[in-house]
Amino acid sequence: MNGAQHILDAFHRHNISTVFGYPGGCIMPLYDALVDDVGVEHVLCRHEQACALAADGYARASGKLGVCIATSGPGATNLITGVANAHRDSIPMLVITGQVPSGLIGTDAFQETDVLGMTLGIVKHSYLVDDADSLPAVMEEAMTLAQSGRPGPVWIDIPKDILLTEVAAAPAPTPAQPTASCPDLTDAIALLRAARKPLLYSGGGISLAHAEDRFRAFAESSALPAVVTLKGIGNPGKHNPYNLGMLGMHGSRAANKAVDECDLLLVIGARLDDRATGKLDGFAPNAKMIHIDADAAEINKLRPADLAIRGELNAILENLTGALTSKPLTIADWQRQCRTWHTTGGFSAADNEEPLAPITGPAFIRQLSRIAPDDTIVACDVGQHQMWVAQHYEFDHPRHHLTSGGLGTMGFGLPAAIGAQFADRDSTVINVTGDGSFMMNAQELATIRRYRLPVKLIIMDNQCLGMVRQQQELFYANRESQINLDDNPDFVAMARAFDIPALHIERTDQIRRGIETILAYDGPMLLHVAISREDNVWPIVKPGASNTDMIDETRRTSKANKEQVA
Amino acid sequence: MNPQSQSSTPSYTINCRMIQEAAALERLCQVVRIRGFRIATMAVETAGEHLNIALTLEGTRPIAMLQSQLEKLHTVAEVALGSNSVARSRSA
Ligand SMILES: Cc1ncc(C[n+]2csc(CCOP(=O)(O)OP(=O)(O)O)c2C)c(N)n1
Repeated sequence: MNGAQHILDAFHRHNISTVFGYPGGCIMPLYDALVDDVGVEHVLCRHEQACALAADGYARASGKLGVCIATSGPGATNLITGVANAHRDSIPMLVITGQVPSGLIGTDAFQETDVLGMTLGIVKHSYLVDDADSLPAVMEEAMTLAQSGRPGPVWIDIPKDILLTEVAAAPAPTPAQPTASCPDLTDAIALLRAARKPLLYSGGGISLAHAEDRFRAFAESSALPAVVTLKGIGNPGKHNPYNLGMLGMHGSRAANKAVDECDLLLVIGARLDDRATGKLDGFAPNAKMIHIDADAAEINKLRPADLAIRGELNAILENLTGALTSKPLTIADWQRQCRTWHTTGGFSAADNEEPLAPITGPAFIRQLSRIAPDDTIVACDVGQHQMWVAQHYEFDHPRHHLTSGGLGTMGFGLPAAIGAQFADRDSTVINVTGDGSFMMNAQELATIRRYRLPVKLIIMDNQCLGMVRQQQELFYANRESQINLDDNPDFVAMARAFDIPALHIERTDQIRRGIETILAYDGPMLLHVAISREDNVWPIVKPGASNTDMIDETRRTSKANKEQVA
Repeated sequence: MNPQSQSSTPSYTINCRMIQEAAALERLCQVVRIRGFRIATMAVETAGEHLNIALTLEGTRPIAMLQSQLEKLHTVAEVALGSNSVARSRSA
């Protein structure tokens, strides 16, 4: 077996059946080995960035390792945004790139770039393989590392000659996983019992730890009022009466109010990101904080914890559930108060009764949420539409909501949806995108067509970079700068050019039929939704301000939208 | 630059043991830089498969934060904060 064949062998042994990649000179030995391999499905995207983002979407939707492959030089540099995206959201990913032959490294050879050097800040770990016999151990270690502890992308850069060299070393054993023991929770339980207004604050760490079920059980049995970060959406479940939704910059008034008023914050699997906390000085000013996380470096990073617990979340949540089930918390007044806030300060969107009224983002997303099947996966792009999904779509599981949280990568949604559809060919996968974001990876329509993926595409077209326009309006005296996209292509015609049928809607009375049509269609379909250029996402907290200083003009927007489409 | 403010920047010594691998030192230095510290001195010795790295660092952020970020690196075996590192001010 040569190095390339060894890589495929390692995939087989680890049940990796789908990889996303793009060939080129230095990775050709691996593509040659793929010709004889029937066990690994290689998905050819149309840009390496999309390969990485599709691998990311695959990993998010399935909980498995995402794998992407590219050649040296431009292939590797094109991967970078996608790998950075995975790094910022701690997505388990294996990245394999070809490198120029060992003897040419450092000679400015054709398509040579210092991949190891330029990617140090966006990987959990990386390797430049300098000996074919080290490849088995490197592969094993990389796959384990990417998925263990706090997951993340691991990059293996392999010179072409090593891919062609016979590997004498036997496959390496998989490193043993440390057994998870539960840390002492006595103090945590005492703090919870002493609190009058405890609040559960959860993030993306729950699904990263595969602790979704244990978290759900804990949230339900403790009946703690709960807020979530963007990546924690879906953690408490859509039927949890104490779920106040997302907090932070575009969070609900109810969620931010509860954080402001609580006397104990139980933070689980969240890193207190600035988009969630707002100005730290004003964040949860009356609260003690218990911080539970798998990553020691997150604890005390931004706000000192009164009690820090590092450990495996499943074990911790199981024990917390046991303790609070045997003796429930007595917080009825606080629960009542939070439910009242939820009623009066949850995300609100006026469902416009007027059939000829233009479509608003929130109203559209609410209908989508009501109509789409329960296990639908929604992959968003970045911008206003992303926030409307976060606010108004009711997710019942965190893996149903794929969103670029840490990096905020426009162009994420379409390849991520492709990856999610490969993870589960039978589930409904919808990419909700904006007219700006869509054009960042629009070439992937070709991938959808090639693999006949039934991905549904929804473009919320406001003819501009809406989120930037909104911030220019609110924080830069409405001085619009380089946000105009009114010369967009005809998206319906564009989809059709890829053999993807498409539909255009613009009035409120067309929403239901539009959504039902694309969902019922047996194959990919695009819904082009014209929305007003002026619509804003409410509430909003000015970047750097405190979450208590929310600007909320929901009512003004709804009034403006009473106008009819001509 | 104001020499007054520079001289009041806390200084720390850190000893780090890490596995020798391609880009080992770059990996370490990258984390030091991005987490807000400046390398004042650096000495490296090879010890078998390991590198022993002695660093004097300056920075205003909590050194514990840097320590935990360095400990997170896969190839770092140990990070020890020097005894003279109790956030003392660098003598001018
Ligand atoms: C790759 C990338 N470039 C730039 C940005 C900055 N940015 C954030 S939101 C946004 C506008 C997005 O526009 P669109 O996709 O049309 O969505 P909308 O806000 O209109 O819903 C921009 C430019 C980004 N997040 N990612």
